[in-house]
Amino acid sequence: MNAQLDSFKYDDAIVRKFLFATVLWGVVGMLVGVIIALQLVMPNLNFTPWLAFGRLRPLHTNAVIFAFAGNAIFTGVYYSSQRLLKTRMFSDALSAAHFWGWQLIIVAAAVTLPLGITQSKEYAELEWPIDIMIAVVWVIFAVNFFMTVARRRERHIYVAIWFYIASIVTVAILHIFNNLSIPAGALKSYSLYAGVQDAFMQWWYGHNAVAFFLTTPFLGLMYYFMPKAANRPVFSYRLSILHFWTLVFMYIWAGPHHLHYTALPEWASTLGMIFSVMLWMPSWGGGVNGLLTLRGAWNKVAEDPILKFFVVAVTAYMMSTFEGPMLSVKSVNALAHYTDWIIAHVHTGALGWNGFLTAGMLYWLAPRLFQTKLFSQKLAEVHFWIGTFGMILYATAIYSAGVQQGLMWRAFDETGRLQYPDFIETTMKLMPMYWMRALGGTMFLVGMILMAYNLVMTWAKRPAKYEEPVVQAPALVKTPGETVPNIFAGLTIPGHRKWEALPLLFTVWTAVAVIVASLFEIIPTFLIQTNIPTIASVKPYTPLELAGRDIYQREGCFNCHSQMVRPFRYETERFGEYSKPGEFVYDHPFLWGSRRTGPDLAREGGKYNNLWHVNHMAQPRKVTPNSIMPAYPQLLTQKLDFATIQKHVDAMAMLGVPYGDMVKEGAAVEAAKAQAAEVAADIAATDPNYTGLEDKEITALVAYLQRLGVDIKKANEVAAARTTAGGQ
Amino acid sequence: MRLTDVMSHAGLAGYAEFALILFVLAFLGIVWVVFRPGNKPAMDAAARMPIDDESTGTPEEETRS
Repeated sequence: MNAQLDSFKYDDAIVRKFLFATVLWGVVGMLVGVIIALQLVMPNLNFTPWLAFGRLRPLHTNAVIFAFAGNAIFTGVYYSSQRLLKTRMFSDALSAAHFWGWQLIIVAAAVTLPLGITQSKEYAELEWPIDIMIAVVWVIFAVNFFMTVARRRERHIYVAIWFYIASIVTVAILHIFNNLSIPAGALKSYSLYAGVQDAFMQWWYGHNAVAFFLTTPFLGLMYYFMPKAANRPVFSYRLSILHFWTLVFMYIWAGPHHLHYTALPEWASTLGMIFSVMLWMPSWGGGVNGLLTLRGAWNKVAEDPILKFFVVAVTAYMMSTFEGPMLSVKSVNALAHYTDWIIAHVHTGALGWNGFLTAGMLYWLAPRLFQTKLFSQKLAEVHFWIGTFGMILYATAIYSAGVQQGLMWRAFDETGRLQYPDFIETTMKLMPMYWMRALGGTMFLVGMILMAYNLVMTWAKRPAKYEEPVVQAPALVKTPGETVPNIFAGLTIPGHRKWEALPLLFTVWTAVAVIVASLFEIIPTFLIQTNIPTIASVKPYTPLELAGRDIYQREGCFNCHSQMVRPFRYETERFGEYSKPGEFVYDHPFLWGSRRTGPDLAREGGKYNNLWHVNHMAQPRKVTPNSIMPAYPQLLTQKLDFATIQKHVDAMAMLGVPYGDMVKEGAAVEAAKAQAAEVAADIAATDPNYTGLEDKEITALVAYLQRLGVDIKKANEVAAARTTAGGQ
Repeated sequence: MRLTDVMSHAGLAGYAEFALILFVLAFLGIVWVVFRPGNKPAMDAAARMPIDDESTGTPEEETRS
């Protein structure tokens, strides 16, 4: 049966749009990165609350991940899918809705994050209305993509498309489950999960955001654009299939390695470590597969900046996927966790793998999309070299900073006491490295700006009207037996021929692999009591402390301060007793943090008097010379929003926090006012210069900070108060 | 009785090993499917898909070998 030839055109207009969005947000996101790098060496650059480090840092991460890398993924996916599937995208309207919807989300993020509107979960900071927008736009993308797959004219689904499918399905699952929350206002919500469970969900999400947003879709792009640029088929197609399935099976388990030695149950931590170490193999298999695609074309690498970008990108992929498993080994993690080592690891991947793969792809696409020669090959070369050196400067500096600080934290002198008991001492040692990092980051940003200029100039030379060549391909003819979806098709028929013809089934299998793995890991933490033994003396925050916690979240304090003392002597000596799972049962969301730019605050309550905290917030450097913390004098003048307190307490009560009578209308506000008056009176009694703070935000924040870690002390006083033994 | 009570006493610990075995079997299945000797021509054809596809507005790079 001979099929008739269909004639159709590819939609490249949408690819051009995504290309420009990629470049624009790349420059913006990296510029914010440079600004926050400079704020760490020049704290005075935190000159307004909107642009303080705690609020800009999530803006940087969101912009580079979801705006830059996100648009880069869509650019490549829209270009390659149409060609690999031999069909135009299913719907131009859905493509446009996807594009404009995504840009709207980015703008919403760029406005809300500097305003301090945040869920305070890393890479999931955006508040619930924006989360809903993300879900809707993602579904639009998914429908458009899967319908395109369904209408394809190519029987075999190339491996790049598999990677796209896995990414689309998994990102949807991750996004929805991690962001489940109870709204407590138009732009405020509390996570459905608390403490350990919230941490578990967050890092299940966080790690897999790296996996299924920054790795698998980019691997799909690698498997398409590297063979294109080298004009050679991928080294081993079989290896690429193995690469795909092993990544999908393993990645989803690895999240708990972000929580080693925290209050996470030991078994979960070990499971995360083992799967992370196993990830070494598929990652390197895939990396080698990418590099060997250039076999016989290495001479071209010298003269072609695109191949140079690709080679460094894949090398960076291999370096960071070597380092990732290494960092997940508990003993290595003990040193690296909370230090800049993790920041260095992330940036090797982000700048090298995502940044350079995107650059190579955009330079390859530009002449084809704008139907003219690239404006300047030389400028692309300059971009490559300046970006590479920037990256090396960045990584070298920040690796040294991480290892140095990690070693200083754990150093004991010959008398058995901490060698560097002042936290600030370990911070000051990092300053030269922080300058070097800012320089490296600036160089990388300059490279991006050069690319933006180069691409815009290429666009300027475009023809008056783009040619839209008509493509011809035979329609896909169904073969007998293919019409009956049989879920065991892949097992009963040798080879992939049958089930690859059923993309829906393929998607289902991918989803099953991801969901089964997730459930096996997550369910026990939620439903087996011994994993989180309760502590009788741990009580909910008072309404005022809850308001203070909201401010702590708003200002992004968790970006620099952890609330998690690990069970090491060098931690307990420095901060106090190690953290227990049962301490966090009312923490919606958890605020354990992931980087200690400043000291841990889990045992902060009662360490200093109230006045110390007021002074420290107003002028950190007066209290701690050389502190790099931003100043928050506005907290002493801004009025506390008592009106929202009742709503917030009610939302917490809905989540199961035992607030008792506090949910009665007005009860929470009354309690908050009474406690605020007490705290303010204490401050005024210690320093008469501070009067009238009872209705100011600082009072709530001080009340919260003074509460941290206090309950566990009571538990120690009455050891018998523990209701459940075991686990610890 | 809450769901956590049921789950806590259901003795589910052994199922972790069961899941591991399932995953290993799935992996071995994939290895067999992928590396089956008869599959080579199909795999080689699939590998060529990106470079065999048609590209629009192709400037000088299309002609290079």
